[in-house]
Amino acid sequence: MSPAPTIWRSDLPLGKDDSSRFLPWIVGAMVYLAALALAGVLAAGELVSGWRAELSGALTVELPQPVEATDADRQARLQRVLDVLTATPGIAHAEALGPDAMAELIGPWLGPDAGAADLPLPDLVAVELADDATVDGTALSQRLTAAVPEARLDDHRDWLERAERLSWLVRLLAMMVLGFVSAAAALAVLFVTRTGLDIHREVIELVHLLGAPDRYIARQFQFHALAQGFVGGLLGLAAGGASIAAIGWLAATLGGGLVPLARLGWNDWAVIAALPVAAALVAMLTARIAVLRILGRSL
Amino acid sequence: MFQRHPGANKDRAPLVLLEQVAVRYGDGPDILRDISFALAPGTLHFLVGPSGAGKSTLLRLLYLALKPSEGRVTLFGRDVAGLERRDLPPLRRRIGVVFQDFRLLDHLTAFDNVALPLRLAGVREAEIKKHVGELLEWVGLGDRLDSLPATLSGGQQQRVAIARAVIARPQLLLADEPTGNVDDRIALRLMYLFEELYKLGTTVLIATHNESLVARFPHHQLHLEGGRLALRPRLSAARH
Repeated sequence: MSPAPTIWRSDLPLGKDDSSRFLPWIVGAMVYLAALALAGVLAAGELVSGWRAELSGALTVELPQPVEATDADRQARLQRVLDVLTATPGIAHAEALGPDAMAELIGPWLGPDAGAADLPLPDLVAVELADDATVDGTALSQRLTAAVPEARLDDHRDWLERAERLSWLVRLLAMMVLGFVSAAAALAVLFVTRTGLDIHREVIELVHLLGAPDRYIARQFQFHALAQGFVGGLLGLAAGGASIAAIGWLAATLGGGLVPLARLGWNDWAVIAALPVAAALVAMLTARIAVLRILGRSL
Repeated sequence: MFQRHPGANKDRAPLVLLEQVAVRYGDGPDILRDISFALAPGTLHFLVGPSGAGKSTLLRLLYLALKPSEGRVTLFGRDVAGLERRDLPPLRRRIGVVFQDFRLLDHLTAFDNVALPLRLAGVREAEIKKHVGELLEWVGLGDRLDSLPATLSGGQQQRVAIARAVIARPQLLLADEPTGNVDDRIALRLMYLFEELYKLGTTVLIATHNESLVARFPHHQLHLEGGRLALRPRLSAARH
């Protein structure tokens, strides 16, 4: 006869319902989907911010390979471009990418054995700006084309904007998935709560007659839902975490850097790990609101 | 075990007042009609009458499970018709009810069943442990604190139900056939409990078929027959 703490003790036999027995599994499935969706949101964000950090302060000059150019021609062209670049204030470093760097760039798409020399690839010059320096891109572009007419300056802005738009779209879709999943979980809790109120109608009536206010009944349902939501959330998190880790591992194995899931950081994992708490809170709040509204309409 | 209700018997305004009350379900016949009576604080009444006379319905009115179809019910000075839903719990906590079918919570032990009204009233667990233990000991169930109702006999369940009804020292105690499942010795013991409560200021209304018990205790009777009330005078029979 050691009484449980008041907050957890239930005067209603809610744990014995068949209807509530499945709630943790339903919530678990929802949290699993939510974990995957959230991982998508976070990975998309990480990916774009990673790209932005990498590309800010960086320019690329692209020199398409003429059909009949000799190595000497190409070197001369490259040197003219490098001269223009090094003479430009604000540019800290400019370097033509050699065969090894080119092979590394195309490796993920064409495989490690693809020889850069065998392909009509453009010559590329990687440019790093000095810290906090700004360079007039239009003027630089004009000076470069004056030196080498076919030179094209790429500040990556167009590409980054397209990537950001795509990333926002992915995030929007994932947020919609999260919204649907939360709504579905809340509906499941609502259904279980209504069934519970119906199953325990007599007990609830008795407890009312003994002087229990509606909020006392609601408290019993809400903490039951909280516990079940949390257990379900942990189940879903375990499955979701394993799936995300597996996808990350596969991504790292198959194409290092191509698949963004491999880039989830500890902060992102912490957000995903908070899902069971969120699920438990959604379940608790839904149960409380449902009980108070349903009981308020009765008698 | 109990203390006198503060102000008991000083304020003689009726605790329960029924005026021209009728109850019917839907378009059905009147279950109760033209019921008028008052119960002063600190009095004990028997509610007697044949089966189907409307005793349980009258009790349902008084423990606020039912509203009258006609007439006025005033409890603790408040017209029941004007009560909001949120007004009911504090009023119900001033009423103790012994249900005819006990209505114990099957999944709770005898201790937890009896403790429930105190927990609803926000009493501390240490006090609950002390008072519930004492009362269950008093009704002869000191060794069955952890028993579930299903493992108790009918008489034992009834005693748990009575203990639950009185544990929070209600101002109004309503009992529906409280001695129906116990032998004479226990019935007498329970009646002494009700008498002790009434002497301490609780207003007690006991619905019963037990004529010998009624004859043994000299209290007013409310006689219900066919849904109508006839007030009988206080019996002058000796208590023992």
